[in-house]
Amino acid sequence: MTFQNNDTNNISQELDMGKRSIAIKVSNLVKRFEDLIAVNDVSFEIFEGEIVGILGPNGAGKTTTIRLLTGIFKLEGKARIEIFNEDITKNLSKYKTNFGIVPEVSNAFSDFTVLQNLKFSGGIYGFPKRKIEKRSKELLEQFDLIDKMHSKTKALSKGLKQRLNFCLALFHEPPILILDEPTSGLDPISVKLMRNRILQLKKEGITILITTHDMQEAQTICDRILIMNRGKIIADESPDNIRERFKPTSTILFKIDGILSNDQKTSLTDTFDSIKEKNGYYSISSYDILKDISKLYNYSKKNNLEIFDFKVKETSLEEVFIHLIKEDSISKGGLEK
Amino acid sequence: MINDSLNRIWILSKKNITLYIKRGPVLIFGLLFPFFMTLSWAIGRAITINHVFIGIVSMTSFFTATAISPVVLPIETREKSLERILVSPISLNELLLGIVIASTLYTLIITSVITIIFILLFSIVFNSIATIFLMFLGIGLMSILGSLLGLLVAAYPTDMTSNVMIIMNLIKFPLLFMSGIFIPLHSLPPYLLLLSFFSPITFLTDLFRFCVDGSNFFTYQFDIVLLTMWIVVLFIVGYVTHKRTMPKRLAETGKTKKKMKMMKKNTIASRVL
Repeated sequence: MTFQNNDTNNISQELDMGKRSIAIKVSNLVKRFEDLIAVNDVSFEIFEGEIVGILGPNGAGKTTTIRLLTGIFKLEGKARIEIFNEDITKNLSKYKTNFGIVPEVSNAFSDFTVLQNLKFSGGIYGFPKRKIEKRSKELLEQFDLIDKMHSKTKALSKGLKQRLNFCLALFHEPPILILDEPTSGLDPISVKLMRNRILQLKKEGITILITTHDMQEAQTICDRILIMNRGKIIADESPDNIRERFKPTSTILFKIDGILSNDQKTSLTDTFDSIKEKNGYYSISSYDILKDISKLYNYSKKNNLEIFDFKVKETSLEEVFIHLIKEDSISKGGLEK
Repeated sequence: MINDSLNRIWILSKKNITLYIKRGPVLIFGLLFPFFMTLSWAIGRAITINHVFIGIVSMTSFFTATAISPVVLPIETREKSLERILVSPISLNELLLGIVIASTLYTLIITSVITIIFILLFSIVFNSIATIFLMFLGIGLMSILGSLLGLLVAAYPTDMTSNVMIIMNLIKFPLLFMSGIFIPLHSLPPYLLLLSFFSPITFLTDLFRFCVDGSNFFTYQFDIVLLTMWIVVLFIVGYVTHKRTMPKRLAETGKTKKKMKMMKKNTIASRVL
């Protein structure tokens, strides 16, 4: 399997992005924990109104990148962060109001009620009392938490806690929203609600950076994906581009009625270089699905064979992700050797 | 700008008072401990009521002040709410002052109530009206001082309150026994008298003695200056220490520690792939 750049798509994407201004630009982010480099010279840009997903296996450096970006961890070396074209490297705290952060695990005060948590946020961001009341009500209604406003946070389910986290992150109406695995461990209904809400926020013009393990989530909501492995970004493209880049894009699966003669087997392997057989199923990795189906049809007709259980499987982003991680690790393993 | 900052400090203080006064360690070390400590010291001994009064007020103010401030940061580190605070526009200074003010107010209220009850119950006589004011000034100074001491101990980057409380007790008890709280400074041998200089409680009890029966060893001005100096030193040392340990607290506690293990595992696993 090989990579092929889809240049046309990349160029059109770049042209499209060129029209928009950059919301976040980070360069040379590095974070070391003793002998471990958690984030290794990471640089990327996020355009205004874009949803960018950071994907990676556990411990790839996704959350650490977010913590560097939001000022939880100190920047090291030549690291530089620009927010809306302003260099904030030396004064991250001044620009904290630009960010709303939804963590993976609730960080609301567990002994406060939902409303007390919201009021605390409003007070910290300097809102007047009347505005705090109004905004709290607005968010509680949006996230369907109005019935729970007087419930203690520790008594809420994970899904409700996550809704509260969204409310807290959005309280001060930040232009940038950072979501750290926001749907992890939620039930399907809550996941759907969250994803719809994220897409709604994009429509409202909010720039969103999201870390996730969930390929489907990335594929559904992200405009662009950064794949991280071992502290480095190993891919930075749209979900479709990444899948396109990863040829072949489809796999043809089928069974053949009866036992093939040696000649028929030879003819089949001659026709399809990549054919494999497993558990009675034949699989062909296809670059051009229509051409290959037509070849298969001709082959079956010529050899008088009946084909059944015919399926076409598209390469999922998950497979691309696993492939990229493997390839990156093998290449680095090779270098280390 | 200053108004915004003061507003944030006040909101943090209110939050700390609401959330932490009912926590186990605060109730145990802030209320029960000084009560039983005084009881076990005073009962069955030939101690004057003035002496008991000075002891109970000194111990209550010191123990209560050092009860709330050490637990806030470990609890908030564990519950991740510290991260929520740090990603909002709150500076380290504001965060620490929010804890100190909450602890000071809590101590002032508890100690003042106990002091007033004791004065009324046992008809404690003061030298003058001014000495009543001096007594409450002393309580105020110890409330700040104890809170800062607790905060300094909380700089140890852990998310376990028990860890901090162990260190706190290792500091609190020597400071208590070194002071003139149990034995008047006049009766201390010179080497113990010298040692008592290293405990702020020495100056607090001495100030209280001046207020109640005039049996003070130093002048009240000296006591106030020394208590203020302790406050200044503890504030500076506490701020510097927290500034140094905060990144460590965030990097090495809770989930991040687990993640570090995960990262190492991932590095090994990806080599195997």
